[in-house]
Amino acid sequence: TRLRPRGTQSWAGLGSTRLVEGQCARRKTRRSLNGERDFLPFLFRNLITVRNKSVICKLEYQNDMTRARIALGEVTVHNIRQLKRLNTVVFPVSYNDKFYKDVLQAGELARLAYYNDVVVGGVCCRVDTSNGQRELYIMTLGCLAPYRRLGIGTIMLKHVLEYVRKDENFDAIFLHVQVNNDSAISFYQRFGFNIVETKPAYYKRIEPADAHVLRKDLRENNNSANNSINN
Amino acid sequence: MGFWKEESCQQHEGNCETMSATKVSLPPKENAHFKRILKCYEKKHYKIGLKLCNKILNEPAFSDHAETLAMKGLILNAMGRREEAYADVRRGLKKDLRSHTCWHVYGLLQRSERKYEEAIKAYRNALKHDPNNIQILRELSIVQIHIRDLRGYRDTRHQLFNLKPAQRASWIGFAMAYHLLNDYDTAYKILEAFRKTQNPRDGPVYDYENSELLLYQNTILEDSGDLESAVKHLIENSSYICDKTTYSETLANLYLHTGKSKLGEQIYRKLINANPDNYAYYQGLEKALAVEDNPREKVILYSSFSKDKKKVCLPNRMILEYTEGEAFLEHLRPYMESALTKGAPPLFTDLRPLYTDSNKVITIQKLVESMVIQLRDYSRYFEDQEVKSAPASALLWAYYYLAQHYDHLGNHETAMSYVDKAIDHTPTLIELFMCKAKIYKHTGDLASAAKWMDEARELDTADRYINSKCAKYFLQANDIEQATTVCGKFTREGATPLDNLNEMQCMWFQTECALAYQRTGQWGESLKKCHEVDRHFNEIIDDQYDFHTYCLRKMTLRSYVQLLRLEDVLRSHPFYFKAAKCAISVYLHLYDHPLKNQSKDEQISTDNMSPADLKKMKNKQRKARKKLEVEQQAAAAAAEKKEHHLKSKQNASEDGDNHPPPSEELLPEKLSSTQDPLKEAIKFLQPLQSFAYDKIDTHLLAYEIYSRKNKPLLMLQSVKRALKIDDRHPKLHQFLSNFQEYITSRISSLPDPLPEFLQSEMAKIYTAKVFQDIKDINWDSIESKTLFSKHRGDDSSITALSDLKLGDSPSN
Repeated sequence: TRLRPRGTQSWAGLGSTRLVEGQCARRKTRRSLNGERDFLPFLFRNLITVRNKSVICKLEYQNDMTRARIALGEVTVHNIRQLKRLNTVVFPVSYNDKFYKDVLQAGELARLAYYNDVVVGGVCCRVDTSNGQRELYIMTLGCLAPYRRLGIGTIMLKHVLEYVRKDENFDAIFLHVQVNNDSAISFYQRFGFNIVETKPAYYKRIEPADAHVLRKDLRENNNSANNSINN
Repeated sequence: MGFWKEESCQQHEGNCETMSATKVSLPPKENAHFKRILKCYEKKHYKIGLKLCNKILNEPAFSDHAETLAMKGLILNAMGRREEAYADVRRGLKKDLRSHTCWHVYGLLQRSERKYEEAIKAYRNALKHDPNNIQILRELSIVQIHIRDLRGYRDTRHQLFNLKPAQRASWIGFAMAYHLLNDYDTAYKILEAFRKTQNPRDGPVYDYENSELLLYQNTILEDSGDLESAVKHLIENSSYICDKTTYSETLANLYLHTGKSKLGEQIYRKLINANPDNYAYYQGLEKALAVEDNPREKVILYSSFSKDKKKVCLPNRMILEYTEGEAFLEHLRPYMESALTKGAPPLFTDLRPLYTDSNKVITIQKLVESMVIQLRDYSRYFEDQEVKSAPASALLWAYYYLAQHYDHLGNHETAMSYVDKAIDHTPTLIELFMCKAKIYKHTGDLASAAKWMDEARELDTADRYINSKCAKYFLQANDIEQATTVCGKFTREGATPLDNLNEMQCMWFQTECALAYQRTGQWGESLKKCHEVDRHFNEIIDDQYDFHTYCLRKMTLRSYVQLLRLEDVLRSHPFYFKAAKCAISVYLHLYDHPLKNQSKDEQISTDNMSPADLKKMKNKQRKARKKLEVEQQAAAAAAEKKEHHLKSKQNASEDGDNHPPPSEELLPEKLSSTQDPLKEAIKFLQPLQSFAYDKIDTHLLAYEIYSRKNKPLLMLQSVKRALKIDDRHPKLHQFLSNFQEYITSRISSLPDPLPEFLQSEMAKIYTAKVFQDIKDINWDSIESKTLFSKHRGDDSSITALSDLKLGDSPSN
């Protein structure tokens, strides 16, 4: 049972008490696949654990030099409504109850993104073995409009890429994107995703209904992919 | 649990002493049994104890042995068989009225039933026959302090002191008795003498109990008003005092009051350095520097602190309090900027005290609105900043602030538009839905308010604060069932939410529940909740019992004295006020509209029935009622049995004689069908009259009760008291004209000295200027009350308004 006044938890608690696990604070520069220089200023990785009766909520912090705090947190039965609310706003597609039921079981494959302790984004994936391979399917990855271009999508996608890297047993990651969603396509391309297929009339109630399949193979160039993420 | 053990040891000694003094002596075998009984009682082996008792009593020669009977009663009492216990103990007493054991046991029984006066009498009788029995004296002293028989306590403590001067507790209890009687000098001297008996230790040693004793002694000096000595005493003993913070705080305060403000200032500066967010230290410093009434000096003072420590909010906030105009704006800008950047939900609550100054309200509003435009278009706070220098969440918090701002000013439409903008911006922030609910509540749409609060709750179901808020909103919307379900998500499994909330003394819930029942006309249920709250207060008072021994032993004397003083005025708590107010209004309603046995429909239908049918039906109804009654009784009995069982179980597992008997179950039907609602109402009124004297509602309620009881003098008293508090209260004016009518119509029938007295008193009230202008002022005050009512959502002023409209509508 949690007994905390609303508002004290978020901005007072997290700033001061930090359980630091494997802190690595170093300046990172790397070249992404398409050759652009990508600059990630200062990266902290802090693990903050908030315990209560039934939830263990882990917030993984990535702090840059600006004043905003961005973190990822678990999806639990207690905060799943926030994810629902987010998805209804961010995506034109609405998801059924089964989707959310599965998300609760997804563990690390479902994350909420916090910006200054407010939920502004979410990522949900599942393991897909339908065509004989073990693939990771990104069901949703999205962020509220006012918080775009702040690196939140990057942090969520990196979390997923890190997951498959540690797992070492995935053949590929893939997802569907509406064909006119240029910003999303270029976002994924920066991380080594390629359009491998276009499915006509993939979406039911939205226009355009066609979807690209974006895919990143992990088997062939396992090493290079890993290097580009982690160096 | 340590202290229970210790106590039972003491009891053991005591009872053994009791034993040796037995007059009708038992032969060795029985005597051994009796000793074993005492041991069994202490070790809570009640069954064995009982067997042994019966063994002795079964011997024909000792079937009436008084002390065995007493012990048997004591054991039965501990096992929860109260009635048998009383029978046995009374029998024992009859057999031997001069046995102190029997009286002692009788006292214990009375005490366990919270009949403290009776217990004192029994202990005194016991002491008549054994004046130096330490155990009985100790118990007597506890009961005396518990019911605040301070003189008796002092005498008992004196006796204990004489008997056991070697014990520390004897000295301290003795001193404390004098302290509580405000005889500071004697109290101080006793403690001083006691300290001299202690071996002086070399150098500073960590002895917390000694440190507490010294601080307590210092409090006595401070209470006595001899502050110079208090300073001296504190400094002399500084090396023995472990609680350095209290030491510094006390010393600084003493310096302030003895004119040594320079020294006080130094200490306050040190304290602020250690804890820069304690407002009391700044207040002390203000006093030490004598700048309390000088806002300009205060700004300089707080500025010096805000420069020292960037991260500390308090000095920055205080500057806002004491600056005006341009300077205020200048300080407000960075304050707002940092709060919005951080994303501080309580920002509005933090600034709300500034809203008493209308100029500041305008400044704040203009500033935040300009910030909203800058944030929305350029992601910066001010024009002179770089584009995109503010975090993306700042706009959200600015919208949120303005929503609360306009809500506070009563401009609900604008408030709603801002909160909707914020929700469009970030639909995942829980605070926004709570804010929206609050705005709905302030517009009077309680159902929508509850709906939105529920929305907020569902966004984070692990947050008990929102859960409780949501339950409260449902109660205010009269949806008790839903509120219970919501609360049930956090209450213990295996008990119904309502029971668990009662067990946890969750008074806000019970009071709101009572009010909801009152609004929906479920009078009995409402009264039940009010009585439950009342019982919590009784329980809290009874809970202090354990501390009387514990605190003396643990030396937490300052806290103990504070506790005693708190318990003395416990019912001054707002929770009690609210519940009592509700109970009184329900009782008043029940007096005005007594409940009828039959429901209305039945009454109507009887009108067109033949006499034979009517008779038949009445018979039927009688039978049905009888059946219902029997069922209710059975249910009540079952419930009581269950509770009894539970309690006795508890008793067996814990300490036998420290738990009160199971209190009578509160039955809504019984409560609402009371014969004398006004008498019940007065029970709730009395604590209010002593502890909520400065609240006008107390006296208005008193008037309502006494006017129904036809007590002109008490009515006059209530009116006069109310006038002193707020002579413009609309309801009071209604009562005043009511009272005048009442007196005029009855004055001739009153007994002799009354008419004259009343007339002179009435003349004083009704010639006062306020009453002369009643019509004009009355309507002014109503307007101001409804527009700027401090208790929005509280419908009292609205009721007053409607009542008044019916009563005496103004001529214009």
